[in-house]
Amino acid sequence: MANGALSATTSARSLGLLERLPVRRIVLIVLTVAVVTFVAVGTFKTLTLSGVDHLGWTFWANLLVIGLALGAVYALIALGYTLVYGILRMINFAHGEVFMAGAFGSYFFAAAYSRSGFLNNQPWAALAILFVVGIAISTGVAVLLERIAYRPLRNAARLVPLITAIGASLFLQNTAQGFFGSQTRGYPRPSLLDGTITWFGVSFDKIDPIVIVTSIVVMVALEVFVKRTKTGKSMRAVAEDREIASLMGIDVDRVIVTTFVIGGMLAGIAGVLYALTFGQVGATMGFLPGIAAFTAAVLGGIGSIPGAAIGGFILGVSESVGPYLLLTGFNVPSPFELRGVVTFSILVLVLIFRPGGILGAGGAEKV
Amino acid sequence: MIGRLPTPVRFGFIAGIAVVFLGMVGMMERLSTLIIVGNISMVGILIFLPPALAGWVVSRPRIEAGEQRETPMGTAVAVGASAGLAAGVLVSAWYAIVNVIGVDSVRQVFIAVTPVLMQLLHFHMGPVAGTLALVGGMTGAGLVGAALRAAPVEVGRPLTAGLAGVVVVALLSRVIAPALDQIHVSRTLLYSAVTLGLTWGGAIVVFVATAIGVRLHLGSKVHDILLPAPEDRVAAAPSAEPGMTSEAGTDAGRRDPLERGMSKRTAMIVGWLVIATLLAVLPYLVGTVVSRILGSVGIFLLLGLGLNIVVGYAGLLDLGYVAFFAVGAYTTAVLTGGQRVTFAGFKPPAFGANLSFFTALPIVVLVAALIGVLIGAPVLRLRGDYLAIVTLGFGEIARVIFGSTWAQSLFGGALGMSGITKAEIPGVALSFQDDPRHFYYLVLLFCLFAIFVSWRLQGSRVGRAWNAMREDEQVADAMGISTTRFKLLAFAMGGAIGSLGGALFAVSIGSLTIASFQILVSITALAVIILGGLGSIPGVIVGALVLIGLPGILTQFEDYRLLIYGGVLIAIMLLRPQGLVPNVRRSRELHEDERSQDQWAKHQLEEDATDAPGPTGGALV
Amino acid sequence: MTPLLEVASVSKHFGGLYALNGLELHVDEGEIVSVIGPNGAGKSTVFNVITGLYAPDGGDVVFGGQSIVGLLPSQVTKLGIARTFQNVKLFPNMTVLENAMVGQHCRSKAGIFGALLHTPSTRREEEKIRDQAKDALGFFGTRLSGYREDQLASVLSYANRRRLEMARAMATEPLLLLLDEPTAGMNPKETLELRDNIRRMRDERSITILVIEHDMRVVKGVSDRVVALDYGQKIAEGTYDEVAHDDHVIEAYLGTKALG
Repeated sequence: MANGALSATTSARSLGLLERLPVRRIVLIVLTVAVVTFVAVGTFKTLTLSGVDHLGWTFWANLLVIGLALGAVYALIALGYTLVYGILRMINFAHGEVFMAGAFGSYFFAAAYSRSGFLNNQPWAALAILFVVGIAISTGVAVLLERIAYRPLRNAARLVPLITAIGASLFLQNTAQGFFGSQTRGYPRPSLLDGTITWFGVSFDKIDPIVIVTSIVVMVALEVFVKRTKTGKSMRAVAEDREIASLMGIDVDRVIVTTFVIGGMLAGIAGVLYALTFGQVGATMGFLPGIAAFTAAVLGGIGSIPGAAIGGFILGVSESVGPYLLLTGFNVPSPFELRGVVTFSILVLVLIFRPGGILGAGGAEKV
Repeated sequence: MIGRLPTPVRFGFIAGIAVVFLGMVGMMERLSTLIIVGNISMVGILIFLPPALAGWVVSRPRIEAGEQRETPMGTAVAVGASAGLAAGVLVSAWYAIVNVIGVDSVRQVFIAVTPVLMQLLHFHMGPVAGTLALVGGMTGAGLVGAALRAAPVEVGRPLTAGLAGVVVVALLSRVIAPALDQIHVSRTLLYSAVTLGLTWGGAIVVFVATAIGVRLHLGSKVHDILLPAPEDRVAAAPSAEPGMTSEAGTDAGRRDPLERGMSKRTAMIVGWLVIATLLAVLPYLVGTVVSRILGSVGIFLLLGLGLNIVVGYAGLLDLGYVAFFAVGAYTTAVLTGGQRVTFAGFKPPAFGANLSFFTALPIVVLVAALIGVLIGAPVLRLRGDYLAIVTLGFGEIARVIFGSTWAQSLFGGALGMSGITKAEIPGVALSFQDDPRHFYYLVLLFCLFAIFVSWRLQGSRVGRAWNAMREDEQVADAMGISTTRFKLLAFAMGGAIGSLGGALFAVSIGSLTIASFQILVSITALAVIILGGLGSIPGVIVGALVLIGLPGILTQFEDYRLLIYGGVLIAIMLLRPQGLVPNVRRSRELHEDERSQDQWAKHQLEEDATDAPGPTGGALV
Repeated sequence: MTPLLEVASVSKHFGGLYALNGLELHVDEGEIVSVIGPNGAGKSTVFNVITGLYAPDGGDVVFGGQSIVGLLPSQVTKLGIARTFQNVKLFPNMTVLENAMVGQHCRSKAGIFGALLHTPSTRREEEKIRDQAKDALGFFGTRLSGYREDQLASVLSYANRRRLEMARAMATEPLLLLLDEPTAGMNPKETLELRDNIRRMRDERSITILVIEHDMRVVKGVSDRVVALDYGQKIAEGTYDEVAHDDHVIEAYLGTKALG
């Protein structure tokens, strides 16, 4: 063996100093420093801003309540993403449209009840019907979506179902526009829910606490369902390992459909709550809440039910409080315009620093 | 529930649902002004194509015990007609229900269900005659679809192609008719002067010509299968003697069909010359209006080519590609004297320059490449689907920032920018901004450049590294590819090409508003590359022509553009994930395998027979 | 003489489980060393630590006199360590030749501008890449050469995929080649052929080889030295016969009772 020659080659093959540079780590460090500085400086400057009286504590408390209500809706939608992701490992990009379908579908009933006076005479009965309709329509859309667009792609490469889902999102949005028209419509609210209440000097819309409580109740019910019932256990088994679950006699197709049904129901409830809160519906209303809810799901740890709830609330609050808190200090005019940037920045940062989310473990690819 | 029905009925119902859907979404009424032949409008196609497709599908050859079995004509006709009938019955049932509820009541919710739609579905006939015509017609369509499929290839395919040819030529009337005028051929040979649809005579001419053309092509194809073509560099190698190098084998294969090779090469050169000439004279052939459409086809072709590098070559699903389009457009605007629009008038931006378009261009490209690296750096470690969502976020962030009040002093905020310098080449009297025909040449130049770049990269060391990364990032890393560097390179290259599209967009209209940079631009670019086939340059061209060009020409489709994009994304992924024009080399090889493998197997058998375990074989435990 | 590769008291744990526990291992230039051990003994983990896929929790890996801990897999490959994977990992939608050409990536440097301008030096380099790749494929005789070069890797037979993976690794011009169960799933005839290939690789191409192998006929046939692992530690080392009769090894494979 020509040992000497080999050794010579070995030493000739060395890496330059530049190549030894850990690029990824440097990027992460720079990013961390930048973000922390920005948040700290922004918050400090805003809070120490003098001579602006509208930035009192009631202002922040009010934003907080609005944020929590928004977060409650996000959390309900986020659960749909989380459940489907947990079981199929796919991002159901069209879930925002499932949410839209429920809201838009219930609108026609709400409008009719408003005209006939039923909405104000029997508000509880009317609301119950609106929720049932919203749930039914969202569920129907979710199940059709699964059957037509996703089921044939169960074993396809990872990006194929995602692209399909993007297509489905576009398709559903524009179908709604074709069916119902492209203008947004005012969603009537029973007078029972109109108006504001004032607690401890903080006044907010009556609807906000209702939204928050409703969604918490629904989420607790879901958690119990998944943990305690047989169907819930099958869902968890399929999420763990689809193949083994099917060998254990679990009907995987059925579990997947059930998952879409539950996701659809939650989206339907969220849709009606959202419509009642913001008072309008339209074909494109699903896109941004959809993305925000996905962010919430990732933030909390995709695949985790409590994670989606926590993520939803955190995101809702960040969206409403964040722009003012971080940007006012920098004299940025109309910070609320930039709330989308806050959402997406949070998404990007979470995925970079903690891809598993707050409560999750997965995310980074296994070797 | 629909799954348990007999197959023809099931597909018939699906076709029926499709027809009802097209009506309810408003497409039918909107397209009723689009005349195809005589007085038949696009509505006829929307009503009869779905049942015909159902008939086509239900009479497809069956695989039985591993063998493909053609459906006999009698059976085909029967199942096809049943499918059509089922479709017709379903549509009629829907029609009846709507009538019972009352069209006006239904219209309260479904705004497209109008009396006009109901008339269209009954061909302006009475209730009984209309129903009979609808059901009968759809049954017939199912039957015809099935018959075309079941007929022998040399009959069925030319007829099908003939029908398709008629529709295509009719749809392209706004391109072909002015072209005929330009070359002093009367357009009335084919088209009606009033409706712009084909005349019956014209339809027959097109049908017969297409059918004959396809029949002749089929004939030559049979010939092709028997004789390997010369540029099939690998075909003959295995037949060479063992031990011969592959080059020698290829040479041996080449000698054989030499003459055919010559004629084929000549044909190819002639073909390229024809295409080049056509591209050169196209704007003057088709006129200003179509040239403007070609301009936007070109811009999206650039976006598609850039995105194709990121998604098709490197496998990084980027949904925020609009960011580069916006960066290209806004950087161009800022550098070439664009003014921000304010309520008080125009004001120069906080930072700006008065460069000429071509001086600004290298800077624009560099900025976009840099932004590509900046966007790419933080997301290096993200897995495919997460990457998609994060890049979607970047696209949205870009849009919000460009349109925000905060950055208004630079980019004009919600009102945008105006007064962008016209692109001019000194000494050349072409006005790119005022004449779409001139703009076409600018776009063509850029597109040819981008195609050249894509093509060169594809076959290079860089392209291989990207492909390896797309196939398996971890293994690519283990094979010595610095995934960090090549991911960033892909983002930078993709961004640079996309920014060219943005720059052209900015100078083509001279002004910008943030409304042009919606997330839908990203999705459109994605649809363009998916339709043609990821990683395929001809695929991107076809995708841009079909998805941008067709809706541009057929303005009636404009409202349904996004609906169609969504449908395309779903349909391609479900039915043909490799796209309509997949990577040429790959599809060819897939066919070649069988032929060459047989020869190789024979050779291998002989070798194995003499290839007993070697001298070390005895050392077996 | 310093060894070509030295794994010095390397540990790696996943959660509470120690996959490697102070492992010592060295490979001299020109050697063929086999690593054996029951499932879960940490064999593949060693490979992943050496090639930079895993960062070790303790210890050092020295290759050709320099520490390679903390380097990226691509950098390790560039320094001269190539590998194959236990469950064959090819680039399925690339051709056989392209797969092998990817191996040459780290020995070439053409970038965007070279690709666009097709400079003479780029063309020469591309030529060289192609030749080297063909040469690596040619190592397996006609199995991967000729028309096979232009087939997609996904249509290859199982044995040919394994061969292609080795050819791709050889195309990186390695000094040390790590083979992870190269004969798994092969029939007896193919196994024998591969055993000869491994020896030829060392003899004809001067590539040092570290191989994980289950088939004892292959281990016996190729190894200069055999290292047995269990629970992430080295339990025996020596010639095939020494290790095969080592009590610890027999115990590891058959359980304690068998000794009794």
